Amino acid sequence: MAERTLQRETPSTVRTDKALWAWLIQAASGALLVLLAGLHMLAQHFTAKGLLRYEDVVAWLSRPPVFALETAFLAAVLTHALAGVRAILLDLGLGPTAERRLTLALAALGGVAFVYAVALTWSIAH
Amino acid sequence: MHTHSAEARGAAGARPGRRPSGWFDVRGRHVGTWAFALNRATGLLLVLYLGVHLAVLSLLARGPSAYDAFIALASHPLAILFDLGLAGVLLYHGLNGIRLILLGLGWGLRWQRELFWALMALGAVAWCAAAYGLAVHLL
Repeated sequence: MAERTLQRETPSTVRTDKALWAWLIQAASGALLVLLAGLHMLAQHFTAKGLLRYEDVVAWLSRPPVFALETAFLAAVLTHALAGVRAILLDLGLGPTAERRLTLALAALGGVAFVYAVALTWSIAH
Repeated sequence: MHTHSAEARGAAGARPGRRPSGWFDVRGRHVGTWAFALNRATGLLLVLYLGVHLAVLSLLARGPSAYDAFIALASHPLAILFDLGLAGVLLYHGLNGIRLILLGLGWGLRWQRELFWALMALGAVAWCAAAYGLAVHLL
């Protein structure tokens, strides 16, 4: 048990765990996106019929299921996009401190973008 | 979980804290490396598009006139061509992403090349259907 704990605390194992989590988040958000993007497009194509008029878009967004779908889509796309940007930037060869700062900065950017977009959509729809 | 495979963690097997991987340099590499590099390139394009998309949607908050001006611009044939390009980028990134998830989980490692071409054929059919739909809509 003690040996296992020690093994877990070595820097390379910590990095492997982080890489695994990053991969899982990227893969899960990507799989969710395939599903949500399909629903998004089906909803736009078959139900919304183009949505070329301003009033139609506002009426469309004010429906609770549509608002929920768009919010989930936004969360998945932001997570997937920022995790992808992180992976690309990490391949530049960043050290552990820079990696931690990058992760925090991207998480903050994602949080701000999510809150802004949800507040914007809510204000348009209501 | 096969995160040790070169495709799952980077084209050249990069690890954090090491020298840059050079994933974009695909000269003389196999189709899997090309597919990975193209996945990243399309991903970066989609991140740019996401920013533009959110900015455009914020026009809705400025009322009908701003939105109508955007719709007039989006109906231009060049914008339709842009949409077709976007559909291609999305299809490639989505379908190849599914392949990368399967490989990362250790499924289909033996036929990864066949899987790639099968998904690309599926993407080509879907893209042609989208192009036909847009052409019918325009003509």
